[in-house]
Amino acid sequence: MAADAGAIIAGLGGAENIVEIEPCITRLRTEVRDAAKVDRAALKAAGAHGVMAAGNVVQVVVGPEADTIAGDIEDIIG
Amino acid sequence: MLAPVTGTAVGLEAVPDPVFSEGLVGPGLAVEPDRTPGRAVSPIAGEIVKLLPHAFVVVGDDGRGVLVHLGVDTVQLGGEGFEPLAARGDRVAAGRPVVAWDPAAIAAGGRSPVCAVVALDAEAEAVTALAAGAVRAGDDLFRWA
Repeated sequence: MAADAGAIIAGLGGAENIVEIEPCITRLRTEVRDAAKVDRAALKAAGAHGVMAAGNVVQVVVGPEADTIAGDIEDIIG
Repeated sequence: MLAPVTGTAVGLEAVPDPVFSEGLVGPGLAVEPDRTPGRAVSPIAGEIVKLLPHAFVVVGDDGRGVLVHLGVDTVQLGGEGFEPLAARGDRVAAGRPVVAWDPAAIAAGGRSPVCAVVALDAEAEAVTALAAGAVRAGDDLFRWA
């Protein structure tokens, strides 16, 4: 099941919390302003297989549709 | 599923990246590659639906996808050290070379060149290892029931 772009944005603390988002082949590598606003449970509910965070860098594992999902997210947050 | 590269077959848990070691995108096996330049081959017949310099996904006619990921954190290399030998959308036979690379150069850069082979979204029990120890590119690696 493809992850839901809008729900991932919400799980990352909203568009204003996202500094950068970059797809790798299995995951979204994102930089957020405030890591405390990231909601792991919401990201998993949005279709993420896993979430790894180190400081303000949050990796959301979404499978090989990462590039499509990153494109959807960029379309939404501009 | 054929081994993409020549080396030593190991469990996915040996891959120093939790996406693979914890099976977050599916079960599979990995190959610790020999430190000689080589060509990574497709584990199955099918269509190349994703192709990055350091990773590719082939989907078979049954709709199941296999991910081959060459090395850990190799996305950071921006393609340096990898040469695609096919294109996204190509139909390939099992064993067809897809990417040329040099595991020794990856290791020299301080990254693991271990090659993860993942049965995407499969159940863990659907995968049975067919290799242990030395394997050559194109040998059977695991069965996906």
